[in-house]
Amino acid sequence: MKLDPVTLEILGSKVTALAEEMCLTLQRTGRTLYVKETADFCCALAGLDGKFFAYPRDMGVSGFVGLDCLTTIQAVGPLEPGDVILTNDPYRSKGLATHLPDLQAIEPYFHDGRIVAYGWAFLHASDVGGKVPSSISPSNHDIFQEGLQIPPVKLVRSGRLNEDVALFLSANSRTADANMGDIKAMLAALAAGRKRVGQVIQRHGVQAFLQSQHDLQEYSALRAGAVLRRIPEGKFRFVDYLDDEAGKGLPVRIALAIERTGERIHLDFTGTDPQVAAAINIPSHGQPHAWLTLRVLALICTLDKIVPLNAGLLRPITVTTPPGSLVNPLSPAAVGVRHAAAVRVNDALNGVLGLALPETMPAASGGTIIPVVVAEPAAHGTGQNVQVIEPMVGGTGARQGSDGTDGRDSSISNLANNPVETVEAEAGVQILRYGLRPDSGGAGKWRGGCGQEIVFRVLQDDTTVLARGMERLRFRPWGAAGGEPGVPTRLRLNAQTPQERELGKIDTLPVRAGDVITLQTPGGGGWGSPFERPVEAVLHDVRRGLVSLESARTHYGVAIGERGDVDAPATERLRRQATDAAPAARWGSERSHWDAIFENDLLDRLNQALFAFPVGQRRRLRLQTFEAVLAQLPPAFPADAPAPKAAESARASLLAQVLSLEQLARA
Amino acid sequence: MPVHTKPRQARVGIDVGGTFTDFVLFDPQREAFVYHKEASTPSDPALAIQKGLSTLLDKSGLSADSLALILHGTTIGLNAILQRKGARIGLVVTTGFRDILEIGRARMPSSFDFHSKPEAPLLSRDYVLEINARLDHGGRVMQEPDNAELDRVAAGLRKLDVEAAALMLINGYAGPEAEGRVADALQARVPDIAIVSAARTWPEIREYERTLVSGLNAYIQPLMYRYFQRLQSLLAELDVRAPLLITASNGGSLSLASALQRPIDTVLSGPAAGVVAAARLSADVKLPRILSFDMGGTSSDIAVSLGGQAEIATRTHIGGLPLVVPVVDVSAIGAGGGSIIWVDAHGVLKAGPESAGADPGPVAYARGGMRPTITDCYLATGIIDPATFLGGAMPLRRDLAEQVLSEVGAHLGFAAEGAAARAASGALAVATAQMATELQKALAQRGQDPADFTLVPFGGAGPTHANLLAVEAGLNHIVIPARPGTFCALGAATADLRRDFVRSLRTPLTDESCARLRETLQTLEADAEQWLAEQGQDLCISRQLIHAADMRYSGQAYELQVQLPVEPSRPLSMAAVAQAFHAEHERIYGFCDESAPIELGTVRLAIVGYMPSAATPTIARDARPPAPCAKRRIFLDESWIEADIYARGQLLAGQAFDGPAIVEQDDTTILVLAGWRAETDDLGNLHLALASSGQTSDGQAPGPEQTR
Repeated sequence: MKLDPVTLEILGSKVTALAEEMCLTLQRTGRTLYVKETADFCCALAGLDGKFFAYPRDMGVSGFVGLDCLTTIQAVGPLEPGDVILTNDPYRSKGLATHLPDLQAIEPYFHDGRIVAYGWAFLHASDVGGKVPSSISPSNHDIFQEGLQIPPVKLVRSGRLNEDVALFLSANSRTADANMGDIKAMLAALAAGRKRVGQVIQRHGVQAFLQSQHDLQEYSALRAGAVLRRIPEGKFRFVDYLDDEAGKGLPVRIALAIERTGERIHLDFTGTDPQVAAAINIPSHGQPHAWLTLRVLALICTLDKIVPLNAGLLRPITVTTPPGSLVNPLSPAAVGVRHAAAVRVNDALNGVLGLALPETMPAASGGTIIPVVVAEPAAHGTGQNVQVIEPMVGGTGARQGSDGTDGRDSSISNLANNPVETVEAEAGVQILRYGLRPDSGGAGKWRGGCGQEIVFRVLQDDTTVLARGMERLRFRPWGAAGGEPGVPTRLRLNAQTPQERELGKIDTLPVRAGDVITLQTPGGGGWGSPFERPVEAVLHDVRRGLVSLESARTHYGVAIGERGDVDAPATERLRRQATDAAPAARWGSERSHWDAIFENDLLDRLNQALFAFPVGQRRRLRLQTFEAVLAQLPPAFPADAPAPKAAESARASLLAQVLSLEQLARA
Repeated sequence: MPVHTKPRQARVGIDVGGTFTDFVLFDPQREAFVYHKEASTPSDPALAIQKGLSTLLDKSGLSADSLALILHGTTIGLNAILQRKGARIGLVVTTGFRDILEIGRARMPSSFDFHSKPEAPLLSRDYVLEINARLDHGGRVMQEPDNAELDRVAAGLRKLDVEAAALMLINGYAGPEAEGRVADALQARVPDIAIVSAARTWPEIREYERTLVSGLNAYIQPLMYRYFQRLQSLLAELDVRAPLLITASNGGSLSLASALQRPIDTVLSGPAAGVVAAARLSADVKLPRILSFDMGGTSSDIAVSLGGQAEIATRTHIGGLPLVVPVVDVSAIGAGGGSIIWVDAHGVLKAGPESAGADPGPVAYARGGMRPTITDCYLATGIIDPATFLGGAMPLRRDLAEQVLSEVGAHLGFAAEGAAARAASGALAVATAQMATELQKALAQRGQDPADFTLVPFGGAGPTHANLLAVEAGLNHIVIPARPGTFCALGAATADLRRDFVRSLRTPLTDESCARLRETLQTLEADAEQWLAEQGQDLCISRQLIHAADMRYSGQAYELQVQLPVEPSRPLSMAAVAQAFHAEHERIYGFCDESAPIELGTVRLAIVGYMPSAATPTIARDARPPAPCAKRRIFLDESWIEADIYARGQLLAGQAFDGPAIVEQDDTTILVLAGWRAETDDLGNLHLALASSGQTSDGQAPGPEQTR
């Protein structure tokens, strides 16, 4: 670092505030819901290398600090003052955009005739065309179905809007006016950034400003390295699963190994499944991309609460991502719902870091974000009234020294919920219950956070309920250090009536007036043996109604009478018996059943073999392999355990398939 | 309403802070202000008030019975909420919503920091009872609790052994009368437990926020009651029988009875009072765009006042909990005088966020503080004279400050000689840059430019830091009131009566709903007039009603608060309401859509009862340049320079001088930078203007000559 320690700190706060001011300008002038309420936007300053040296804190989308603008900048050729580049193309921007609704704008900032920085703004536009309104559907299987692809182009040339580009944009969106309003908000934010950059240069000089771009990143890289050094040297590996390919198909495997050397950390995704024919692929282009590194950034920011956010944080991180895999798909793989896979990548990162830093990392969080939506006939005309009821999340995992958080999970987006009263005023539903789901948090010395539960009655016929993103029905959020897993997601129709139906996973569900929907999200995993949880803590949970008397007895070995008093001798007896028993399974039975058949070594070999084939063939070969194995297993596998004999023949079948694929691959 | 004029009798404003309790007495007969600072007594705050008031009366030569009114702000409620040390309370909610406080708005405090924890809920889940009572969104009762259900809940409350309980029914905002009936029925069954109905307290849509309004109200009510009992008995010992008004978070005040019923309206009154005083100053000096700047021990706050009105916010936070009642919009911008200066492991200089607070305070206080603070930097750079701090009442140890700061300098690699001053100056620059960037962000959020504003600093350190901040943030003009150290007490002494009322409608704007809007406004007006009458309306000389509504375009997720053009002669038309909304949308967001349908949300009414104004006395004029009383070396911009020292008390109206200079007074020290010119106006305010600017952006020459 070449700047003096006073100037560096001053320029650090100035450029961060500058990026935040751009965000505030965008939010104030932006037009749509995504900007105003869910804050799905961000602004930053990139240096001449295209990496962000100034990024806002706690404003907009924090996770994109590692994005790289350089490919997009270079794609349009020489730049002049007043130019603004626009793109939304995940492939041609090399991962600056990660799905089509995210419009990215970049403006070069000039001083004395040369570029000294780039302003960047992005926001999630309401619609960019494609198969469905809002452009996002998990069932899209290539990017051409997902809307208009905008390769990097000059939206503004020397301060004048490029009308041809604007015409293309407007013709390809269901919400053309709102999009143009949002684009203008991005231009306003970029202009605000340009003005402030000029002021900073005027006060501190262009040399200091340029030097700060390097020094701030170096400073963050140093601080990040200091945190990462706490990870023991050596290799750790962890495997987690998505239930399926966005609502259908086989479980999707995410395998991840980490290795720290000095102040660097390497993430190796070898063993992760091939890209899927659903819109959950993560277009990382083999870089340490935002969606693949989020939990590492979170670890750095958790242990160093004042580190400046900039691309320097990612400098110690390198990755291996097999081309054509879920985490490095090849065009034209669909990517619209890439955040669904990112949630599980985040869990896998959390898990592997947990092996290295068991006392710092929590057990798994709920691991699902389910926006429950109703679409009902509009009161007037022929349209539909579409309303988000609640964005449902689970609880967070427990960690050493702290229970998980009940009914909240910042996960990858930290969404706010909706007031029940505004929902009832705007949609034809009546919410009967919205609260915590007792007994759902994984038992442990530290208890996992309880999930949420919502019960609502539909008031109109011809209504459709949507619950996309339902996950963790098949595999539970895992516990850590002897803690038990959280209880999985559950969805029912007309629960506790004679018409009760277990719905499992739905995409859309037609319902009638009077139907009652009950959705329960998973609790987080527990940490440490539940039999070591202090009796008073269990009693407190029972008093608060978050743990039942039965659960206190069976999971925690604490006997509490009907009047709320602890039966000390019985408790001692229960806990003594328990310590003799096997340690609680951290995965839950479903995952244990799965792993007993689909052993990690074999699946690694399977994927290695599959990746020897062209991208287009891998999916079919994988499906064939699994179908042959699953045919030997009970229909409700992995919830139900197979008989020993069936298990044996399934394992044998898997081995045979892998061997033959390996042979084919060599040939 | 008839206009009353009272015989002109003295009014006292009291502001209780962590370290000092401040008093300002206005004596209309002599048109004079009397000021006093008394050491606070945190364990029994009323004691300092009794003692200080007694001294104040002595100072002013007045007897207890010549006091007409005492206006008092207290932080008892605020502290109880921040420390979660309120009363033992319960909560009764519609069945199915027991976790309303647990889930809140479901967000975590940080997206990244996975060790962060959500805000502590106001009360534990086992203190929440469910009741089979509910309304629909139209306000129709869907479930009415029968006697058995009411008995069951009442028994539950008794078993919890609570002092008070809040009641919140889903959709209660749409039918406050129905919720009120349930509250009354419960109250009749548990006469010893105060039942606070959320819908009666604040009938606004959004169940979590409304629950908090009533929950917080119940939480602090018993404490406030005990405090005011104690205060009244202590004041009675002094024979002080003047009515007591309590300052409110919205910048106004309310009667003691009203404050006891609605203590939630008073929790943020401390900062509000200072902003209100700044807004009044704005009228005095005829500068319409004021940015008040309060720099205290742990943090600094700013607030915007336009046209003499402090900006009001309806979405603030208190102790991590959202608060929707209207409060003066104050934004924290960073360091205070006690913020700690340190060097991190990589050799980078930092200011805050840790603070030495009032105890042990800065190193120079010699009360055990070991880590340097912003205040220590003022000493090491010579800006503050250790001998004249607080008028010499509290001599400081400059040597101790220099000692710790030279260690900081050594960490930064500075040569031993001058290391303390260089480190101090660097730390001030770091802190100032942070404050300036936060200030710019706060204004950017409002679409405003700092250059259009006049800075009005107050609090102990505000005037010391104001010029540094103005330069960094791009403001060209500063007005420092005569007594910045007791400015909040002045704001209290001059506060008007004010209360806010709401009702949520949540309906498309049509001719029919506009009729409902008119009815609702009439109901609110009647409530407001009745409230004002109960406050003792002979206190006011006039009153004003301010009508507003939250509106949005259909399908938008955010609402905009719009002032409604209500005129006594003409009924409010739908076209006029729509026009007001389009115009405001255009003003704030730069676009409007006159063809889009509009949704009407929460209807708001504020009533203000104006009290006789306390005219600021003028001071003598003298056109000759003032004589400095001393010179002192101060360290600015990497070098020691010679600065003139002036005594504030000796500066007369019209007297002007150039920086670099220091102005000293009992309650603060003012730094005037080179390139800035200082001039005192007829009311004793000190104006600092960038010498080259001479003009403020609204085209008016700043300051003194206009105040004549």
